[in-house]
Amino acid sequence: MGGTRFGQIAQPAPVVTSPARLGWRLGGVSLDRYFTRIAVFPTFLVMLGVFGMPLAFSFYLSFTGWDLHEALFSGRFVGLANYEDLLTDRVFTGALGITFAYTAAAVTAEMAFGLGIALLLNMDLPYIRVFRTALIIPMMITPIVGALCWKLLLDPSHGVFNHWIGQQIVWLGRPDTALAAIWVVGVWQSTPYVMLILLAGLRSLPTEPMEAASIDGASRRQAFWHVTLPLLRPYLLVALLLRTIFEFRAFDNIYAMTGGGPANSTMVLSMFTYLMSFVRFDFSLGAAASWLMLLMSMLICLVFIAAIRRRDAN
Amino acid sequence: MAQVVGSPRARRLEGALVYVVLAGLTFAFLFPLLWVLGLSLKTRLQVFANPPLYLWWPTLENYADVLTRADFLQAFINTLIVSASAVILSLCVGVPAAYAFARFPFTGRSFLFFALLVMRMLPPIAVLVPMYVLFSKLGLSTTRLSVVLAYTTFSLPLVVWIMRGFFEDLPVELEESAWIDGASRYTAFLHIVLPLTRPGLVAASILCLQLAWNDFLFAAVLTNNATQTLPVLMTAFNAGDSGVDWGGLTASGMLVILPVILFSFAAQKHLVAGLSSGAVKG
Repeated sequence: MGGTRFGQIAQPAPVVTSPARLGWRLGGVSLDRYFTRIAVFPTFLVMLGVFGMPLAFSFYLSFTGWDLHEALFSGRFVGLANYEDLLTDRVFTGALGITFAYTAAAVTAEMAFGLGIALLLNMDLPYIRVFRTALIIPMMITPIVGALCWKLLLDPSHGVFNHWIGQQIVWLGRPDTALAAIWVVGVWQSTPYVMLILLAGLRSLPTEPMEAASIDGASRRQAFWHVTLPLLRPYLLVALLLRTIFEFRAFDNIYAMTGGGPANSTMVLSMFTYLMSFVRFDFSLGAAASWLMLLMSMLICLVFIAAIRRRDAN
Repeated sequence: MAQVVGSPRARRLEGALVYVVLAGLTFAFLFPLLWVLGLSLKTRLQVFANPPLYLWWPTLENYADVLTRADFLQAFINTLIVSASAVILSLCVGVPAAYAFARFPFTGRSFLFFALLVMRMLPPIAVLVPMYVLFSKLGLSTTRLSVVLAYTTFSLPLVVWIMRGFFEDLPVELEESAWIDGASRYTAFLHIVLPLTRPGLVAASILCLQLAWNDFLFAAVLTNNATQTLPVLMTAFNAGDSGVDWGGLTASGMLVILPVILFSFAAQKHLVAGLSSGAVKG
């Protein structure tokens, strides 16, 4: 581009300068003026149609008694009865406790293992990329396949684990071991997720603080606790938020391995909502359970976003 | 990073130790898959051998069985159709929006963007319950379209997030000079901006593809025997009339995860951007 034309860049609204070449037109009106609106409209439509409307409808549904055979808005209003039913249902309150306990246990283990492995993988050693690639496989693969693989390994009579320990433990059929087995599979699947985020964080950290620390004679342990960990905080928070949100909605592994049993010992909220809606076909209660889950997810997000924002503000 | 201090010998020793630990971890993490891969290469008799066989002559008969099953092929075709449609639809819907988010201010921009992030955070089951009701009233349930729409909704935040980043990295002078030369915004977007963000489009498609390919919940609820996808069929192998079909389950499981593993390696660079979408400040 020649120097003389450079000044033209500053001209406002270059679009309307040569209408002859404005391309797409509709009924003689140039569509260019509406470019932004046209670009965003499909996204808006999908969000409203496939997301907003269903959620609004389930909010309505959660205050009614409704059956799938009835017309959409013919349910009778029951106030908070659905929510009352849920909160006095032993299975639901149990699911609430199990979901929170499972989420806390799984996220804690994933964060600890993920951080440890990320630190190892961050070393500058030849061929370490091979390990980086291999270790993320569990999180890539179809979750239901991963869970079914574990189910075969844990099989009471033909599973390889029982063979190794020389016993015939029905891991997934006992209330005291089923949730622990689900936990192992969840941690196996999602530790790479944390590892990947933290590794990206570690690799983007500035090197100067570490160098300064080692010049000042800090031991590696001190440098880790007082330099690396505080610098890594935003990444730790992101990983923590995402894992909490995703473990809170855990479903596939539990569906594949236990279906919520035995004796509801692995009944998490997603499983409860699924059974209520698609096995018992009580969509009103299902909608109420959904909305309780939605509110709790939002609450978790808000807490974390506040934590991330506070850090940014400092 | 991770400066190793000390004598060269101590450093080498430490390096060796790290390798040993990493090799152990890698083996532990991959063992379940390797063992099942082994099972898929065993005959029925070998699967149930006690003690388990560690060395045997591998057979492909399970794969031959699975690949000639009509329901497997149907589910495979369904998965392909559904995943491909979801990717195309998500890109067609999400990419222009991402461009608008990156370049042009408009009313409701931050609200819409925030809403997209919220979409990613909500539990899928909570969306699925009313989605199923509305789809069945519209006569859409058990169609492939219903699953495609569901996946598109969940891919959109991902596409918008990734592509917005790519568009923002592009110097705005590129489009400005095109506009000056008389190109419309559509022309500039289609012929100048899009070709330059091809790596982003590839990354976004692979992440959408993975999301659609790996999903179980939506497919389980929104499809029937004719339209079911592979993950749904897998659970049928697991709970057949005659108990667990070990050969079918292991072989089909390996076939299901093979493409995802290949695709994921291709998109490895962009995985983190995709994973943390919606959590990093917007």
